[in-house]
Amino acid sequence: MPSKIIIITILALLLIGFSILFIIEARNHNYDYKKDWVAVYFANPGDNSLDFAIENNEGEDAEYDYKILFGNDKTIEEKVAVEAGAKQKISPALDMNNLNGAEKIMIIVSNKDAEYKIYKNIK
Amino acid sequence: MVLDLLKLLLAIPFVFFLPGYFFSLAVFGRSSEKISFFERAVLIAPFSLILIDMAVLALNKMNVPIKGMVLIGTILIISLVGFIIYQYRFKKNSKSVEKSEETSRSEELFSFSFWQTIFILVSLVLAVFIRVAYLSDTILPSSTDLGHHMYWVQMIVESGKLPVYGMPDFIIGEHIIFAVFNLVSGVGVMTALPSLILFFINILGIFTLTILVARLFRNKNAIALSFFVAGVLYAVSAPQSKYVSGGVVGNIIGDMLIPVALYFLLRAFKEKNQIFAGLFLFSFLGILYTHHLSAFVFIFSMAAVLFLYLALNIKRAFGIIGNWARIFLKPVPILFFLFSIIYLLFIFTPSYFDKSAVSQATGAPSKITRVGLSLDQIEMNVGSARLLLGAIGIALLFLNFKPKKYKYSFTIGWTSVLFIMAYKPGWLYVNIPSDRIGNYLFLPLSVVSAYALAKYFELLKKSSTRFFASALLYTLLFFVITNGLSDSAEAFKTRPQFQETMETFHSAQYLAETTDSSKDVILKDHVNIYGDSWYKLFFMKDYKYPLSRGNLSRYDDPTKPREMCTRDMISKPESAEALKCFSETGVNYIAVNAQIEGKSFEAYPEFSKVYGSNYISIFKRN
Repeated sequence: MPSKIIIITILALLLIGFSILFIIEARNHNYDYKKDWVAVYFANPGDNSLDFAIENNEGEDAEYDYKILFGNDKTIEEKVAVEAGAKQKISPALDMNNLNGAEKIMIIVSNKDAEYKIYKNIK
Repeated sequence: MVLDLLKLLLAIPFVFFLPGYFFSLAVFGRSSEKISFFERAVLIAPFSLILIDMAVLALNKMNVPIKGMVLIGTILIISLVGFIIYQYRFKKNSKSVEKSEETSRSEELFSFSFWQTIFILVSLVLAVFIRVAYLSDTILPSSTDLGHHMYWVQMIVESGKLPVYGMPDFIIGEHIIFAVFNLVSGVGVMTALPSLILFFINILGIFTLTILVARLFRNKNAIALSFFVAGVLYAVSAPQSKYVSGGVVGNIIGDMLIPVALYFLLRAFKEKNQIFAGLFLFSFLGILYTHHLSAFVFIFSMAAVLFLYLALNIKRAFGIIGNWARIFLKPVPILFFLFSIIYLLFIFTPSYFDKSAVSQATGAPSKITRVGLSLDQIEMNVGSARLLLGAIGIALLFLNFKPKKYKYSFTIGWTSVLFIMAYKPGWLYVNIPSDRIGNYLFLPLSVVSAYALAKYFELLKKSSTRFFASALLYTLLFFVITNGLSDSAEAFKTRPQFQETMETFHSAQYLAETTDSSKDVILKDHVNIYGDSWYKLFFMKDYKYPLSRGNLSRYDDPTKPREMCTRDMISKPESAEALKCFSETGVNYIAVNAQIEGKSFEAYPEFSKVYGSNYISIFKRN
């Protein structure tokens, strides 16, 4: 049998293989697709601002509890709903000049059993 | 997504087919007695790869920006030049070219029986299927080596010129082809693109080995079996799928080009043909520009082949050398030789072309990893079945030994020298990590394995005691198939680390958006963060930025003092050494694994935790 059939077959196989792999990569190259994680971070890590964001990559809409502590004193406790794959920015209305001597400001975000905390040590 | 896929699928034939096809037309014409359709189809992509490397090197030398339209124009010009040469050389005679006897012989070599064709097609389906299954769990760009390489590719894409590496670890030919695909198709490097290109080259390597087997043995069963031995056996282990997903670029391209160079050398000698001699030099130049280790291994392999042939024909040695000289001292090889010299000296000198690199790679082995592999390690490296078949193949070659025939010195010389380089490198003054050399052994062993199986089938047919011969054959095949396919189970067992990779990318993107790379300095952990080598692509500031804590064993180097700061600033950030390092390096952001170092860092009052996810924590030093 002529060798052309071998060349045509391998080209067809590669075409199928490439397409499958490319689509798998493109779908999974996404923070939310088939993932289950949350990110909490300060919008401005370099200064004393407390603006922060919660990113929901848990694959479904979720409601998060968050609280802000100055030292050991709880100052704010709120809930925020974040759609699947979305990011919610939060700018707490707090007086950064009245920290009551606290050296650490902590934000704790929780959902179900998981807890995420970020903080700034201010000395 | 679909548009990007279409662009990539259109770019592949444009880049890998067009220049090589017209080059083959210019060299062989449309229908040549020297080369079959199958061989031409296999060689088109290697030709394209080398031509594009050469063209980009020339563009860079002329300070022409390496951009998409420039590359598209360049590929079209190469193709046009090839077509003009073809018209000039062959068109006037085209009507009179009838299918000669030699053309028929070339085509006949690759005209398989029904069952041979079925066997080859099944082997190819298996070869592709196993690789796709394995790569489907690793296709998201995350491997360390690939991340390092893609930094340089991105550098070419962004700057429009070739980088100055400043280190001998990287070779320009490892990066050009990816940059070309990116610029021509518009598909980014942080996609499936690099792995797919490597996958293509890996599959192409099966075919280049096959045409070498064909011209060595002129045995159709051996050709058919070579698809199985090279494509299906140990399809996951290094240097196959694991090297594709791991981004071991130089090895993958080298494994494809080495058989091409040997194929042309063999045909130049056997057929006393100056065209093949020229193409041998051309493909050797391609190896030189692609990978230092492959070039090193190829030079040793070639030297062993030539030396063995001369030793086996010692009485005719001077005559043989004279014949070789007559083949290479003809216009075509001289032209290719001058072309190579001009490129190497004046257009672009590979970064490893210096005395220190040569002295590092030769001499007595300087490290424990370079003193050679044990036989068990070699068996692990190449696979028990391939080693067994290879040994049988060598034994069968000896049984039918004819020193005047090149196939004996090519197979035995190539296998022997690679075995010695891996087993006792000190004998040849080779000072290179032995496991890296061992990875090349699969090439000659695949060639002799295919021969072993083919020859065994022939012996079986002639055997008078068919029962014992059949029993032995089936036992051997059972062992080969079960052992050779055992690693393929891995293709279905791996757990994709897509989430970890995306969390790593997210943290890198966060740092890239919120820090000022002119005054902030980032340190990340390589030990416990998956896909961290891709961090640098989010900043594109420097190859060594962000700083990285490497594998801990690397800090214990008895041969030379190593910098310890990247380790100490993560491992013991409150120590006096680390404090000094923070002061000297200016590091003020540290990205670590949230579940490991992240927990420890939360106890340090000097740090604020500014980013937290399930996998990554980022701390800012106050």
